[in-house]
Order: sequence, then C-alpha cells, then structure tokens
Amino acid sequence: MVGVSYQRFPTVKIREMKDEYMKFELRDTDASIANALRRVMIAEVPTIAIDLVEIMSNSSVLNDEFISHRLGLIPLVSKKAMEMRFSRDCDACDGDGQCQYCSVEFCLNVRCEGDQTLDVTSGDLRSFDPMVMPVDANIGKDFDEDSVDPSIQKKSGIIIVKLRRGQELNLRAIARKGIGKDHAKWSPAATVTFMYQPEIHINEQLMETLTLDEKEDWVESSPTKVFDIDPKTHQVVVVDPEAYTYDDEVIKKSEAIGKPGLVEIYPLEDSFIFTVESTGVISAYQLVINALEILKQKLDAVRLSDDAQENDEQFGELRQHLGGVL
Amino acid sequence: MNAPDRYERFVVPEGTKKVSYERDTKIINAASFIIEREDHTIGNILRMQLHRDPNTLFAGYKLPHPLQYKIIVRIHTASQSSPMQAYNQAINDLDKELEHLKKVFQAEKIRIENISL
Ligand SMILES: [Zn+2]
Repeated sequence: MVGVSYQRFPTVKIREMKDEYMKFELRDTDASIANALRRVMIAEVPTIAIDLVEIMSNSSVLNDEFISHRLGLIPLVSKKAMEMRFSRDCDACDGDGQCQYCSVEFCLNVRCEGDQTLDVTSGDLRSFDPMVMPVDANIGKDFDEDSVDPSIQKKSGIIIVKLRRGQELNLRAIARKGIGKDHAKWSPAATVTFMYQPEIHINEQLMETLTLDEKEDWVESSPTKVFDIDPKTHQVVVVDPEAYTYDDEVIKKSEAIGKPGLVEIYPLEDSFIFTVESTGVISAYQLVINALEILKQKLDAVRLSDDAQENDEQFGELRQHLGGVL
Repeated sequence: MNAPDRYERFVVPEGTKKVSYERDTKIINAASFIIEREDHTIGNILRMQLHRDPNTLFAGYKLPHPLQYKIIVRIHTASQSSPMQAYNQAINDLDKELEHLKKVFQAEKIRIENISL
C-alpha cells in the first residue's frame, strides 16, 4: 500500500488581480476544497485588531464602550499577523497579552480647543509599531498641501467621534492577533464567493426551428444577459456563460414554447470561479496564500498522535492471535 | 453573564485530546475519529478525500450539535486497508494538494505580473 496516492493536482488561472480584489479560476478539484478555502479566508486567516482599551479620559458624547467597540472595528495593516503569537498561547507575557510578540500598543489623545467641531479619526491613533497602522493611514499624505479646496485638505481616516470645545478623548489601546471565528472584527475578508463554471450547449438544430421573434423572446427570458442573437446570421449565441445564475428560466421558457431541450446547461463540478475582496488589512492575493497555509496547519493538527497509532497496532496483533474471534 | 468564552469554539481545552480514535466493537475495519474544535471545513474535505480511496467502503462526518465544538468522522474500509490507514492517507493527500495549490498560485502570480509589465 506504500506509495499509493489519491492526490489531485489543481490548476489556477488568475483573471484579475488588484491590491484588494482578485478573481481567479480554480480547476481540477472539488467543491469541498473550494468551500474550505472560502471558509478559512472568512473566518480563520488571522489579522490584528484592537482588543483592549484603557480610557484615561472621555468627555465626548459617546460612552466608553461605544468608543472601544468602534476602535475594535478599525482595520489595521496585518502583514505581521501570520508571524505574531496569539496572546492566549504567548509564553513571553504569560497570556497577559501585552508583550511585543503578541500585541501592539496604540495611544490616542485629542482635545478640542477651537469653536469648530473636531473629528477624531483613525488617523489620530499613534502606533508604537510602524508595521501595524490603520489601513488608511497614508491616504492623507497623498493630498497636495496647496490644494485649493480646503474640504479635501482635511485629514482623512475613519471617524471615531466628534468633539466640541472643551471635550477630550485620551486612551491607550492594545491590538492583538485574532481570527474572524472569534469576532468578525478580525476577519480579513470583505466578500469571498465562488461559483461553478456553467457549460451551456444550444441545440442548434432545434433552435433553427424558431422564428426570429421567438428567438428574441427566448433570449429575453433569461434575467441576465447570457445569450444574444447574431445580427448577421440570426443565430442564438452564448455571449456570457458566467452571467447565468442557475435560475432555469431559459429551460422553463423552452418547455413553455413546446421546445424542450433547446438548451442544456450544467455546472462543471471541478471548475470554480472565485471572487475575493479583502478589507485592506492584507492583499487579496496574500489572503488566499494565507488561507492555504492555515488550512494546511489545521490538517496537520488533526493527524493522529503516535501513541494512538501504536495502541491500534497492538490491538491488530491481538486480533490476529485470537483469529477472527473479535 | 454566564455566556461561554468565545475562544471555546476553537481552543482545545487542557487535558483533552485533539483527535481520539474509537474502533467499532461490532464491525471489523470500522472506526470513528472524534476531532475536537473542528467543523465542516475539515470534516467535509476529509470525507471527500476519503471517498477517492477505493478501499474506503464508507466515510462520513457529522457535527453532532452546534454548541459541541467537535466533529465525528466515521470510516469503514475494506480488509486490505484500515480506518487509520485511510485517515492518514487522506490527510497526506490533502496536505500535498494544498502544497501544490500554493506553488501553482505563486507561479500564476508571477506569470500575471510579467504580462502586465
Ligand atoms: Zn505576549
């Protein structure tokens, strides 16, 4: 039995890749792998988010826990997250969760002195680690200082609270590594979806028994633009198979006009089209790579321990000795 | 007030084994694997990979209860194999598939970047 393998060799084709968005084809595997990948991307790829807030003073209109909750939801650049430790299994701080291996400290100290309302944003968070900052931290710097419109010159970032004259907010926050399964604030995924690639076969012979009006009617019966009519040959053609939502409308239409079997559509069960959007804490590409790594680690964790295997081997010998009694 | 800690969903409690193995007392070559703190992500890929093994006569998994954070994988094999052998084989094959997928992805990224240059 040694050397036997039922391994598959999936293939990948990236159609589009931007920082926070990616579309790719995954082939020669099954839905269980596609779905495991999707689930891990959403709930198990680690990121960094604020998890502990110590408020020194808060005279704003929002209460302390309201502000703490908002701080938790601010996306922080999480390139470091895979190498970081979870606070709960960090031995450098005995699970205290405040050492350099498992946490990043932030502080925020703002006071409104003027008559104008002051916006406190994620840009006011000062990080003790230059690798871990609010995701939009550098957006403000891109603006031209001499920009004519003063409203554009205003600092950007995610608004946390607004202060009026005399109000202040002074706090210390600890960001930690976590996963979306624990709390959605740690999820790096905005949306991750996959669909089966559809295979569409038009019965040309049967289709040609339709008049042009009937063809137009049939093409229109699909809620999404999957088919069209060639203006020259008046033939029905598939223009965008992936626009098909498995709604069965064209199939029902075929039956309704007494021409069942006009078109055959079935999902290719080993081909998937993925759409991945990240929240910006890591790139969409890194999200997929990290998900594969995490899934591998999960599999390694469910391997049987050696002692369990030895016990079973002894049991097997015992069974042989007893010769079929068991 | 009495809500269980959120981490209970994915942290194996101290003194508990991640995987325990229970041989069926009535059927030869049948066994259950109880995997703590795992869900459909692992359960379903294991099951589907086991189905690719011709020596596996039955492979299934269940999540007994949404508040019990464990899955049970049941395997029944032909006499040439054993549930443990099939289980190990499935994990090894999945591991290799994911490693392959990672390499393919990295190569594809390089290919895409060269095109756009
Ligand atoms: Zn620590």
